[in-house]
Amino acid sequence: MSGVIIRRPWAPRLLRTAVLGAASLLLLIYVLAPVAWLLSSSLQQERELTSIPPHWIPDHPTLQNFRAIFATGLGYAQPSANGVDPTSGGFIPSVAANLLPAMGNSFIVAFAVVVLNLLIGVPAAYAIAKIRFRFRNAALYTILATRVIPDIALVVPFFLMVRKLGLLDSLTSLIITYLAVTVPFSVFVLASFFEQLPDDLDRAARVDGCSRLQVLTRVFLPLARPALVAVGLFAFLASWNEFLLALMFTQTAASQTLPIVVAGITSDFTVSFSFLNAAGVLAVVPPVILAVMFERYIVSGLTAGAVKG
Amino acid sequence: MQRISHDERAALGLLGPLAVVLMAVTAFPILYSLWISLFAVNLRRPARQPFVGLDNYLHVLGDAQFLESVTRTAWFSAIAVLAVLVIATLVAILLDQEFPGRRILSACLLIPWAIPSVANGLMWKWIYDANYGALNGALMQLGFITQAQVWLGNANRTIPLIANAFIWKEVPLAAILLLVTLKSIPSDLYAAARVDGAPAWHRFVHVTLPAMRPGFLLVALYELLMAVRHFDLFSLLTEGGPGGASDVLAWRIYVETFRNLSFGTGAAMSYILAVATLAASYALIRSMAQRL
Repeated sequence: MSGVIIRRPWAPRLLRTAVLGAASLLLLIYVLAPVAWLLSSSLQQERELTSIPPHWIPDHPTLQNFRAIFATGLGYAQPSANGVDPTSGGFIPSVAANLLPAMGNSFIVAFAVVVLNLLIGVPAAYAIAKIRFRFRNAALYTILATRVIPDIALVVPFFLMVRKLGLLDSLTSLIITYLAVTVPFSVFVLASFFEQLPDDLDRAARVDGCSRLQVLTRVFLPLARPALVAVGLFAFLASWNEFLLALMFTQTAASQTLPIVVAGITSDFTVSFSFLNAAGVLAVVPPVILAVMFERYIVSGLTAGAVKG
Repeated sequence: MQRISHDERAALGLLGPLAVVLMAVTAFPILYSLWISLFAVNLRRPARQPFVGLDNYLHVLGDAQFLESVTRTAWFSAIAVLAVLVIATLVAILLDQEFPGRRILSACLLIPWAIPSVANGLMWKWIYDANYGALNGALMQLGFITQAQVWLGNANRTIPLIANAFIWKEVPLAAILLLVTLKSIPSDLYAAARVDGAPAWHRFVHVTLPAMRPGFLLVALYELLMAVRHFDLFSLLTEGGPGGASDVLAWRIYVETFRNLSFGTGAAMSYILAVATLAASYALIRSMAQRL
């Protein structure tokens, strides 16, 4: 029995617990610390935020920045520029008024993209997963190929097309172009979900006299709810977060989405650091709530789709 | 000529809307872009747009600034892909264990994945701030540095620091995908190794790592494609600066197109990018198509 080390059973178990605990803590810090600092910064007064060393937890937390965003956004306060610390309530940067309307634009665009994704993606995914037809492979490869086209390569033609159609600075231009970056992924996730549902379901319903469309709406859709939720979430988050195309097509507050207004604030040296962080928090909160609430759906959707694109 | 069967007609009908949309927003634009790249299109002089053949491509490939941006993009992508693979593997191994709090941990892991890249850029720009940033603050409190450092403004540090922000956001998805691979490893492989008396690290090197190869390949290809085309952080954190130190391909295309208003060369650059990543794209498509 050479080479066998006899250990008391509790020793390796204790070691395992310690290692797992330390690793979990490390991961939690890695993931949460940057976001926590963003949040903490948004709640500090400018004087406290620019103190050295930094106050990781604010001594005098304040909601002034958020009050300014909601007050001006809803028209209750006028932006001013008298050089007083914004977090003391005296100064509200003029961009504060743009944040809520931009958030509204983001919601409209994201909602429209979700609806269109489902309307276009569900029938296509069903056909790919459950109907054997010539060109099925060609269709599948075409859909996958559209997923790997770099978005930056679409920017030049998109801009010229949108300009020619007179759609510059409109939400329509965003909704249409966002389909390019969301629909192929949606179809792929939905198709891999439909694929897992038994073919017998399809056959039985068709023997009972259902048309293809009826099979889809009456049999498959109710079963596919998790996949529909996941696809809806992906399309929503992708639209809510999209930056490059919105940067090209939007010019005024009428069509600017939240990322564009927040990016403008980031590069504006007259805006206080604490207000900047508050704008960041505003952009982060909706997607983070959705992601944490629907974690199960997202993980299974990502797994089915293998990669987000 | 073969008749179109009933099933095929149904399939065509169901795929119709998708075909129209993809035609309009991907197939047509990508061909239109090829067309544009053969003309000298500059929005500063919209009246004169002569056909120049491959001149735009020759001009771009002889442009030192463009070639430097390619090198920089390769450097950024290499750091990003390697780091994402290593960190995501460690995270996946952790999440593969059973322990209390694992579910909360994996829910928190989705946060970086979910936040908008603009917020990610803003957040790291503030962390890296040369005067009041958290990085300076933390390093000084821990005693690693005595003087506040210039981070993004230092040309040698810019690319790795931007890569760090990119990695932070990409790790969750990579970890989720690797975890799937990890869970799909048949347990009898481990049982066999255990019978042989192989120690844990031995099992990891000889059973786990080889079995994870498809997962590694998928993640590496996907992250490579994401890194090579990445625009958002470069635009938000440095605008290609300082002094061109973070002037990567995507940023170059943006500047050429929307600042120099030279759409012909801009389109040529983006075509070169698309073709350069074709091999990786094709491999990725193949591995995904096999799953369906």
